[in-house]
Amino acid sequence: MKGVLNYIPGQTVLHRLDPRTKLILSLMICVASFLSGRVSFLIGLLALNLLLGAAGHVLPQVLRILKGMAKACAVMFILQVLFIQQGNPYFEVIGIRITDFGVRTAYMVVLRLLDATIPLSLMLMVTRLTDLSNALVVHWHLPYQYAFTITTALHFIPVFFSDMQVISEAQLARGVDFDTRNPFRRFALMAPLSVPLLVSSVKKTEQAAIAVELRGFNLRTRTSAYKVTRMAGADWAALALGAALIALSVLMNTL
Amino acid sequence: MIEMKDFSFRYASGKRNALNNLNLTIEDGDFVGIIGNSGAGKTTLTYAINGIVPHHYKGDFYGAVTVNGLDTVDSSPEQIAAHVGSVFQDVDAQMVASMVEDELLFGLENFSVPREEIEGRVAEALEQTGISALRHRDLDTLSGGQKQKVAIAAILALRPRIILLDEPTGELDPQSSEQIYSLLARLNREHGTTIIAVEQKIGLLCRYVKKLLVLEKGEVMLHGPVREVLESSGRMEESGIHVPRIVSLHKELSGLGLVHSSAPVSMDEAETMVREALQ
Repeated sequence: MKGVLNYIPGQTVLHRLDPRTKLILSLMICVASFLSGRVSFLIGLLALNLLLGAAGHVLPQVLRILKGMAKACAVMFILQVLFIQQGNPYFEVIGIRITDFGVRTAYMVVLRLLDATIPLSLMLMVTRLTDLSNALVVHWHLPYQYAFTITTALHFIPVFFSDMQVISEAQLARGVDFDTRNPFRRFALMAPLSVPLLVSSVKKTEQAAIAVELRGFNLRTRTSAYKVTRMAGADWAALALGAALIALSVLMNTL
Repeated sequence: MIEMKDFSFRYASGKRNALNNLNLTIEDGDFVGIIGNSGAGKTTLTYAINGIVPHHYKGDFYGAVTVNGLDTVDSSPEQIAAHVGSVFQDVDAQMVASMVEDELLFGLENFSVPREEIEGRVAEALEQTGISALRHRDLDTLSGGQKQKVAIAAILALRPRIILLDEPTGELDPQSSEQIYSLLARLNREHGTTIIAVEQKIGLLCRYVKKLLVLEKGEVMLHGPVREVLESSGRMEESGIHVPRIVSLHKELSGLGLVHSSAPVSMDEAETMVREALQ
């Protein structure tokens, strides 16, 4: 399975940045989007996100995320519009007022949601998890066990997913009707499959634990990593860009 | 060298000894294939060699197991791992990285191999397994056979004197299985690496290994050079252990008095045998 959050190999500037820079920059973009109260700024930020996606040669994947979020955004928008009753009403339906303030808040929320989600996903697409965890362990003294737990968990998601696929295909072959439209019925059919999946997963993780133990996992120290990244000019420039975005978002609020 | 003296092991949850009273020596430079029915203790035997038993799985441990002079009870799994490299059946479960190169680095980093040595070792291990071209590839773009080679390369980079494999071709197609075993045979021949492999496919095994170790119900039924062990194919068949088809054919033909040579191990020898029978 090639998920939307998987690393996409490449040699672009974004790929070559220090993992720490990418992590901080993406968090900075999130912060900027939350600080800003200006629609123009939020739209600009969205454009910047797309630009970054294009720069990292992962624009199609970013657009796929946007498409995937469309439903969630629509629901958010409708809920906000219905629940916010302050402001000047445009019109009123069965006691619910649709107001200018409600609509404004709704699209701000949706824009912020998009602006804050894309940077982190984008970071994961252009950063190898191994590099990220190495950087966090070596430079930020994150205990290796934690870093390993996270990278391994992400590593196992597609493995378990394909196991689940195998199990459900085996059931399909025996005539279990997973195609049913009734979601409750489908859940009832799928739920028992979690047992074999759990059994095989526990077996897999057991073997994984043994395998890494025999490859010296317990001997590893903070400085074990062979490839150590260093901050370069491009990294500082990227961080400056992030700082500028935050400053701009605050500045635009006061205008 | 691996030595087992009066070695028995019973898992904490087990009702009977998984391995019972083993007296066994595996010499340096051996290439041993371990076969036996499921539950015969094949995997437990590999665990006893790499120290998983008794360090990871607890239980009653009797007798002694030494690996290159290290007593496996007194040594940590990491100390033993410096001598014995282990490759497991589930390729995906033992991978830790997303890229081939990083997979090889993992063990080297952990065992604090000097930095200036690392590059040479990675290049050499990739070269020996014939996957230098895959160095910068993502693991999830590789085939099962390629991944198994990466797993072997990751172990080779640590330069163990002994490599232990538990059903390394369990999830592979016949062609990839052949490739893995010819790779192992080459390592054994050219570098003198001791290789111990648990395998279900006995025909495959007999073409490559020097010795066979047949386990039954936790005990050694047969242990010796492939030809000698195959002489006793009757005993193996009685216990429900598969023997290569050319060996069963030999048994039938010699029963009819049509051939008088010893059991064939390779296809060439089988051909000679059939020619002899036809004359």
